[in-house]
Amino acid sequence: MPTTYIVLIVTALLVLFLIMSFNRLVALRNRVQNAWSSIDVQLKRRHDLIPNLVESVKGYMAHERETLDAVTNARTQAMAAGSNVAARAAAEGALTGALGNLFAVAERYPALRAVESMTQLQEELSSTENRIAYARQSYNDSAMEYNTAQSTFPRNMVAGILGFSPSTMFAAEESARTVPQVKF
Amino acid sequence: MTMFAALAALVMGVPLTLVITPLFYVVTLVIAQIINYFSPLSPEFWDTVHQLAKLALAVGDYFFNHKPIDPQALGIGIALVLVPGMVITLVLWLGLMALFRRGGVGGALASVKAREPNHHDLKELQLANVVEEMAIAAGLPAPRVMLVDSPGANAAAIGTSPADARIVVSRRLLDDLNRDELQGVIGHLVASIGNGDLHIAFTVTSVFETGGLLITLINSPFGPQARKTLWRIVRYLFSRPASDEARAAEAEAVAALLTRNLDTGENDDVDRLLDQTSKKSLWRKFLTLVFFPLVFTNLAIKLTLWFFSFVLLGPCMALLWRTRRYLADASAVQLTRYPDGLANALRDLSADNTAIPGGAWAAHLFVINPKGDTSLGQLQPTPNQVRQAIEAWESAGQAEGSAAVAALPQSPGPEEFARFRTEIVSAQRAAMQGEPQAIARLVAFAKVMSGGEAEDLFTQMPAPADVAAALHGDRAAIARLQALKPNRRSEPKKESGGLQSESMMSFHPALKRRLKRLARMGAHISLGAPKKKSPAAILIVAIFSLILAPLMLAMVSMMLLLIGMMIMLNLLMLAMWLAAIQAVFTLLAHH
Repeated sequence: MPTTYIVLIVTALLVLFLIMSFNRLVALRNRVQNAWSSIDVQLKRRHDLIPNLVESVKGYMAHERETLDAVTNARTQAMAAGSNVAARAAAEGALTGALGNLFAVAERYPALRAVESMTQLQEELSSTENRIAYARQSYNDSAMEYNTAQSTFPRNMVAGILGFSPSTMFAAEESARTVPQVKF
Repeated sequence: MTMFAALAALVMGVPLTLVITPLFYVVTLVIAQIINYFSPLSPEFWDTVHQLAKLALAVGDYFFNHKPIDPQALGIGIALVLVPGMVITLVLWLGLMALFRRGGVGGALASVKAREPNHHDLKELQLANVVEEMAIAAGLPAPRVMLVDSPGANAAAIGTSPADARIVVSRRLLDDLNRDELQGVIGHLVASIGNGDLHIAFTVTSVFETGGLLITLINSPFGPQARKTLWRIVRYLFSRPASDEARAAEAEAVAALLTRNLDTGENDDVDRLLDQTSKKSLWRKFLTLVFFPLVFTNLAIKLTLWFFSFVLLGPCMALLWRTRRYLADASAVQLTRYPDGLANALRDLSADNTAIPGGAWAAHLFVINPKGDTSLGQLQPTPNQVRQAIEAWESAGQAEGSAAVAALPQSPGPEEFARFRTEIVSAQRAAMQGEPQAIARLVAFAKVMSGGEAEDLFTQMPAPADVAAALHGDRAAIARLQALKPNRRSEPKKESGGLQSESMMSFHPALKRRLKRLARMGAHISLGAPKKKSPAAILIVAIFSLILAPLMLAMVSMMLLLIGMMIMLNLLMLAMWLAAIQAVFTLLAHH
């Protein structure tokens, strides 16, 4: 009789453990997915802001056609990249670079800096860059938590069986690691 | 946390037993009499009932005459005495929580006159963006942002849950901080929301409000003011206000009335009754005499409740709340990954006026104590500021052809700064005596410094023009010189109310400790080198502490004695009440 009880209790505990692990992992996975989609939202926001920006600086920066075209092209490419993660990351990286270049060039036009709508647009865009960075940070944090939860004992024995796999973390693009060259 | 609050509510019910238990006893006896009339109850029942009334006397016997006491009867008696009051308080607490949860936060916003941010203003647009950024970093829905146009620089997160959280920022804060510092402050508030602090604050407040409600209840037989408050609560309970704002405003008003009532000084109903000097009819005087024992009970309960909340509950809650502030600081650093932002913001704000008019009720929710924080002392100037100031001083001296410029170290330390200050002071003295060279040097220095980064270091420095004018006997200039104070920290206005006034201990941790923790997380902030104490100073401190320690001990024991006396007094009152009721009913039974 007592052995039956022991077996029953152990089975119950095991099942409880499975349920709790499963629920925790699902909650963490949802958080990771949410963080991932919020990156998308912010990238979209940036795409929406760019036409406005180009429109408002065009008049002042007639001699900087190339810079403006670079931004517009990078935006088109980023929007066309679709769901291919690697291609898209490259395109978004290029867009970030083109925008940075545009603002650096805009510094040369004092008239432009005095325009109110321009300063607001610049604030919106730099805020969007921040948001993308924070969304990535949030994604990385939650992905790390998710991966840790999967790979620590005793959950690592059941995570694979329950159908969970580690999610990949964002790394800075190769271009961001190199020290930028400042020329005057 | 909720458990702790429930416990506090239960303990608050203890003094209430003074009223509830006799009432409960009377009701039981009356019902028993009625039942007895129809079907006689067993004599054992009456025995137990009478024994309960004499329980306090039995306890007294045990203490003074060492008469044995039946532990089981004692247990039942104590439970019967304590449980009714506790249960009632618990129910009141839960009811208040439900009531105020319904109210939301609109009334709170109305009391500080908050407005929506203007998106055409760059600073306010920046604020809205920063809040969104931090919400994204924390993975929360973005809280709504409200602005307050007040002379104080401060910010708070208010609400009852992450879903209805608002961030309230004063316009002055936006003007004083740069984007990184603002990010630190908002990070603190958003992190606080994400950590669930709003719920904790709500629970803590509701416990204090329960205390206020208890006092209102026991005051209600004596005066119109308490009855008015109660009537307002009842009306609020059953009203269907036209708009959410009206309801929220009403909830806020009621809550304010309740927390105010916990301050014994604010309620004058009972005082008016006791007041013998005013002209009163003979009838009123007679009433006072009749009610005197009741008034005494009322005062005893109120004193106990106040003591409990101010000395015991308040500090406990304050200490707990401080850990939440530290946690929010740490989470803010985790969100922004930039400890310098928050650290610099706190450092800058410590020198500002941080009071928000109308915000005293929520003083514990602000990022920095609205009553000001002096733990940092005089602000330490940054090395860059010191360097600028000294360079300006030296160049001013060179222009006048006085002392030669000494080689400046790359980062001047506190000694350099001290030397520079004494030089300035001696120059000022010379200027007062009318030495033209010193006056010229001061004028040149002021010209170089104006508009520079280090300018605010010297706001307390006399203007050289004033000095020159004072020499010629200009009275206005002399008055201006005399008005200069050594400390430029403006004293914030004192405003009572809110949790801060319910506790002898501040709900905000000292800024110095917060900055120390931020420095440990990697903030580059100089808190000033720890002062080296001379042996004489140590000796004096030691002697003083030797004298003070027994005094402190005596004070603590006095306090404990006071609490003990109050409990004894309450028990005595209880025993008297029970004995009196029992006597009345025995008398009735005999007739």
